[in-house]
This record gives sequence, C-alpha cells and structure tokens, in this order.
Amino acid sequence: MPKVKIPRKSTSVDMTAMCDVSFLLLTFFILTSKFKPTEPVPIDLPNSRSEITVTDAIKISVDKDGKAYINYPSALFRLKTLEKMGEIFKNKYPYLATLTDKQKATFAQVETFGCDARALPDLLNKKPDEVSKVITGIPMDSADNQLGDWVMAGRYADVEINHPSARNAIRIAIKGDKQTNVKAVQQVIKTLTERDIHTFNLITTLAGGSRKAE
Amino acid sequence: MAEIDTSGGGGGKHGGKVRAKKLSTKVDLTPMVDLAFLLITFFMLTTSLNKPKAMDLNMPKKMDEKKTEVKESQVLNVLLAGGDTIWYYETSDGKMTDMKETGFGASGIREVILKKQKKVEKMFGHTKDPYDKTIVLIKMAEGAKYKNMVDILDEMDITGTKIYAIQDIVPIEQETIDNGGKVIAGKEIVTK
Repeated sequence: MPKVKIPRKSTSVDMTAMCDVSFLLLTFFILTSKFKPTEPVPIDLPNSRSEITVTDAIKISVDKDGKAYINYPSALFRLKTLEKMGEIFKNKYPYLATLTDKQKATFAQVETFGCDARALPDLLNKKPDEVSKVITGIPMDSADNQLGDWVMAGRYADVEINHPSARNAIRIAIKGDKQTNVKAVQQVIKTLTERDIHTFNLITTLAGGSRKAE
Repeated sequence: MAEIDTSGGGGGKHGGKVRAKKLSTKVDLTPMVDLAFLLITFFMLTTSLNKPKAMDLNMPKKMDEKKTEVKESQVLNVLLAGGDTIWYYETSDGKMTDMKETGFGASGIREVILKKQKKVEKMFGHTKDPYDKTIVLIKMAEGAKYKNMVDILDEMDITGTKIYAIQDIVPIEQETIDNGGKVIAGKEIVTK
C-alpha cells in the first residue's frame, strides 16, 4: 500500500477580513462616541432610580460650594446665546453688545463657563481654556440674577436655531453635586420658576455606583 | 503570518543573470488587527459609561394657584435636615404634633410613607384619584444636602406617591427641629 501523504498546510491565516471588520466597528464607535466635556469643577452626581436620558439641554451645574455654571449644547448655540444676551438685555449688559467677532468666537469654544458677565469682555481676549478656568460662579441672587438671563438668552437662541414647537423647546437640566447645600439648588429652581420654566430635569446617575459625573 | 524569505540574495556567485527576487505581496495584518481591537474596546467602554440619567421635576405654576382642598389627615410633612436625618409629623386640628426622627432607606422614611398610605386607604377607601391618597409635603430644613432632595424624590417614585410638593420651610418647623422634635408650647400652628 502506498503511503497517504498529508499535504502540509500553511499555518498563516488571512487577516484581511478580520481587519476589515474591526476597522468598520472602530469607525462606528469613533463616530458615535461623544467625549466628556471639560468641566471646570468636578461634580459628584447623586444617585437615583430614574432612567430618563437627556441629550440636548442647557445644563446648569451647581458645585459643592453652591456656585453655578452653565453649559450649552453646541458652539453655535453658545455664539447665538451671547448675541442674544447683547440684544435682549442690552441695558443690563451693554458691554456684551459691543464684543468683537474674535471675542465671540472665543466664547463659542468655552464649553462650560461660570463667571460674572462683567468679567467676560476682558476674559474673552484670552484663550478659551483660560476662560473656563475662572470659576467664580454665575451670580444668581435676586439682586443680580445673571443665571436667569443666561437661561433666557439660551432659550431665545434655541428658538432661532431649532425653531422648536412649544412642546420640544430645549430642556433645562440641573446638575448638582451630592454635597451641595439644597438652598443653592432651590435658588436655581426659583430662578427658573420665576421665568416660567416649570418643567426641568435633575441629572443623576443610576443607583448602585457613585460615579463621577461626565 | 509573516513570511520571511531566507533564500540567498539573487546575485553573485554563479555569475548568471541577476534576477530580481520575487517578494511576497502578503503583509502581516496581525498588529493592525490588535490595534484596531484595542481602540474598539476603548471606544465601547467610554461610550457606554457616559450616559447620565435624569429625573423629571415639575414645579407648580404661580398663576393657576388654585387651592386644592386637602384633608389634613392625608398629609404627611417630611422635613429634610442635616446629617441625612429626616423629621416627619402630621397635624391634627390644625396643630402640629410631635415630630419623629427617621432616616433614608427601606426601614426609614419608606416605611413611614407606606404606613401612612395604608392608614389613608383605610379612611378614604381604595380609590384611583391621587388627590384622595397620601400627600407628602417636602421641606428643606437647615443643613439638608442636594443628595437628600434627590433621595426623597426617588422615595416618592418608589412608594408611588403621585402628589407631593416641595415647599419652603416655616420658621416654627425649624424651631421645632432644633427643639428635638418636641412641639414648643404656643408654637404649634403652622400657617404661612
């Protein structure tokens, strides 16, 4: 009987197909992922059972010391909001109406900001990341409620950009730190209700793990 | 896998024609696949961990402040104080009764609310109208943290309390808490 020869097979596997698939997936995840926005201060969110997700919203952050910061969904949104501040509240903030285009462009790049509007014109001559480092908080006491004005300007900007119907106007979300005194959050809520905003969201993380906020 | 050609160089000793060496067109893709999967893992993890949740909060409109008629026996007053403590009381004949202290969680305020619900159900019978069920008034005393507020709102959701309100605290209530929950004589009527 002749010997049956088993032909030697190469051990190398063609990786092309696997490579194709993995890069397809990679592209998908890169495109769908949103990076963490840079926060001037870390905020440790409280837990709740609620499972509603908020995507686009004007986010008001309240840090441990009760200082408020505001975050708009996009660069275009920030630009429009700043313009609206100069238009609608011209008498209160005349210095915001006379900003140069370069200053406005700088503001559009600042994701979260929290300082007195009076300090803005000078600050906007600097780099965007220097602006977000100023964390004095937006004034929100009844004598000088700038936070309310920023929210209102944001809503006007939303109307101009998205033309929403009354039902899907931009949501307002409050992002408070666990340890914040509840009085500070109540002041934010009061600011909103005084401006006829009665429905808003409180941003939390799912119960079970205390994760740092995005 | 990587094909390494170990056959000698094309030229030289034999003095024949110099032949160009045939190079393999295969490229080793293994490191590339490794890298791709590493990045996929990274992006998968960063996207899924990054979804903040939110809860809805509706505050009453000032304009349509139609006074809802509520019987005092169905109302439970809950006061959040510092150090994660909760004080609660009921009223009878318009007067505050002694406050009791409890905490958060299943054996704390949740049990109090569930007991109250049973009591109210006995009084009003089983009904679908939320206004005939337990109504909780939430008030923030000195030292309460934002976390406490979210926790109590969560507790409302867990116990199925549909009607609740966040109200400003009345000075008398704060004084009573400072007094250890004992009603101060002459200061038991809570009015705004």
